[in-house]
Amino acid sequence: MKELIKKLTEAYGPSGYENDVMNMIKEEIKDYVDDLKIDKMGNLVALKQGKGNDRKKIMFAAHADEIGLMVTHIEKEGFLRFTNIGGINPYNLVGARIKLQSGQKGMVSHEHLDSMKDLKLEKMYMDIGSSSEEESKKIVSLGDIAVYDQKTQFIDGRIMGKAIDDRIGCAVLIETAKQVGEVDNDIFLVFTVQEEVGLRGGRTSAYSINPDLGIAVDVTRTGDTPGAKRMDVALGKGVAIKIKDSSLITSQKVKKLIIDTAERENIKYQLEVLERGGTDAGAINLAREGIPAGCLSLPCRYVHSYSEVVALEDVENTIKLAVKVAGNSQLFQE
Amino acid sequence: MELKDFITRISEATGVSGNEEEVGEIIQEAFRTLADDVYVDKLGNVIARKEGKKKSEAPPLMFAAHMDEIGFLVSKAEDGGFIRFEPLGGIDPRTLPGQEVVIKGREKIRGIIGAKPPHVQDAKEREQAIKMEKLFIDCGRSQEELNEIIQVGDFISFYQELTWLKENICAGKALDDRAGVAALSILLKELGNRSHDFDVIAVATVQEEVGLRGAITGSYHINPAVGIAIDVGFARRKGLEKERTLQSGAGPGISWGPHVHPQIFNKLKEIGERDEIPYQLEPVPFPSGTDTYAIQMSRCGVATGLISIPLAYMHTPVETINIKDIKRTGRLLASFCAEADEKFLEGLPCL
Repeated sequence: MKELIKKLTEAYGPSGYENDVMNMIKEEIKDYVDDLKIDKMGNLVALKQGKGNDRKKIMFAAHADEIGLMVTHIEKEGFLRFTNIGGINPYNLVGARIKLQSGQKGMVSHEHLDSMKDLKLEKMYMDIGSSSEEESKKIVSLGDIAVYDQKTQFIDGRIMGKAIDDRIGCAVLIETAKQVGEVDNDIFLVFTVQEEVGLRGGRTSAYSINPDLGIAVDVTRTGDTPGAKRMDVALGKGVAIKIKDSSLITSQKVKKLIIDTAERENIKYQLEVLERGGTDAGAINLAREGIPAGCLSLPCRYVHSYSEVVALEDVENTIKLAVKVAGNSQLFQE
Repeated sequence: MELKDFITRISEATGVSGNEEEVGEIIQEAFRTLADDVYVDKLGNVIARKEGKKKSEAPPLMFAAHMDEIGFLVSKAEDGGFIRFEPLGGIDPRTLPGQEVVIKGREKIRGIIGAKPPHVQDAKEREQAIKMEKLFIDCGRSQEELNEIIQVGDFISFYQELTWLKENICAGKALDDRAGVAALSILLKELGNRSHDFDVIAVATVQEEVGLRGAITGSYHINPAVGIAIDVGFARRKGLEKERTLQSGAGPGISWGPHVHPQIFNKLKEIGERDEIPYQLEPVPFPSGTDTYAIQMSRCGVATGLISIPLAYMHTPVETINIKDIKRTGRLLASFCAEADEKFLEGLPCL
């Protein structure tokens, strides 16, 4: 699985350009599912057919896209100005190495500032080694998107790299497909597009699939680092079962279903109340007439930086819980 | 149920966004005596249907008021038996110290939000408003006792009894927007004596305070011809601009702006004039933070309107209303239903 995580996280795939990632996932998953297709928005939808009589539809969603930097202007000297695709903190960009879809590498720096408090994206630029506008124009065009260029590393049971948000969720769904075996209900494993720019793929795929239960698998913040904002989620304390974020208040019955499953199967979990941020679960919840939805979160430090960190142990617990939730024959007790 | 009793019960009931069951039960009970059919949809909206004379397949008229209120979630049970919390909805931390709350853990327990005594605050603390993350709830229990009852994610509601300041004027929590829900009950009651062509659907929506969520799924489900939200507007008090406020007790505000269909606006105004129901005009230039916006953008688009009941001290536990404005809202909307005929509905798409 480490190899899979490394491959997925190092791949290029900002919002709207998830193709490479989708192709990798397709290859990984194709032998384990009954149907596999790309929908109109670009979501990869895998179906594991249930064997039960009164089949319900359970949709799992993990987003394949990552944050990026979109080229908005090319300077006379060849430097590239950019805007953000997804939520980017300028402080995380200083000195970051980046790559474009073409494979072109570069790095990010900023104009001279008297105070770093003035650091804003409009004061920053990409340096791709070019020394003129003409030269740059041969390599990039406006609208091209760069992502972090970062190798993923494994240190003492921790995974460190870019785009762990949410390729780690993709890895969880792939492993779920491999491990779940025969199931009663239809299990849709959806690798969504454009989550970072507004839960877009999650919204349309939930409309199209119209499931009885939606479960997003995504990362969440932690409160376990020096001087961190208070949050009762920590690395290594298990899969985080989402109670609330800006996009979702998990309903009592979904909360019960997930917690009961974790308790029954003895899977290490923690409860998550996230102040800000949303996941595909929010979009699924509000599709059509409303769909019961929840989220299995992977505690992740330094979210949206080029060194996001998760614990391998938490990943394993998340897979276990996803497999068991998928394997439940009955969703809700009436 | 008498209006005053109903308002008292729904104001005092718990019903924080995402946890509206308790207030929803009371609303269902009241609506069952007034409507032909009452049920709860997938997100928890309480939906009451009053059948129209036409019994046709025509889309219904939808009226929405949200039943959720602002509140909190337990974010952390800290050493020493103190509870840290996360807001649900727009809460002003300056209104919190000294409030009583109810925590809905394995059982319901009471707590208070404490604050540092003024004597021991330093100069800086005295000058600055306290921040949410500095506040905590004290339930008078030890950490061990609390661990038996509370876990992260439990809902916390304000605890506040409704006070009648004067015959028609009351102050309490959650009147945003249970005042609107009370207006729905008047509407349904009035319709008992009036004939109307089309089905009327009254919806007490969930999760409005966190993003109009019940209205998004509710209007998809109902797919109405007309959608009117009943919410609260700022009542005029000292320190507020006259232009941005409504006068308490002077009738509901009929809103006007890009999210209001001109013919619905005109019709409501016309009824107010003719039936001598006092009303005020409320210009809302931007899509307002009410269910109206969610209904307007549902499916292929819905012709919408917005009624605002004047309410003072919004998002505090002493929200203050004049119940005359609730009764007037119900009567105004009942006449609207009685007069919304095929011709009126046919005219709606032509802007």
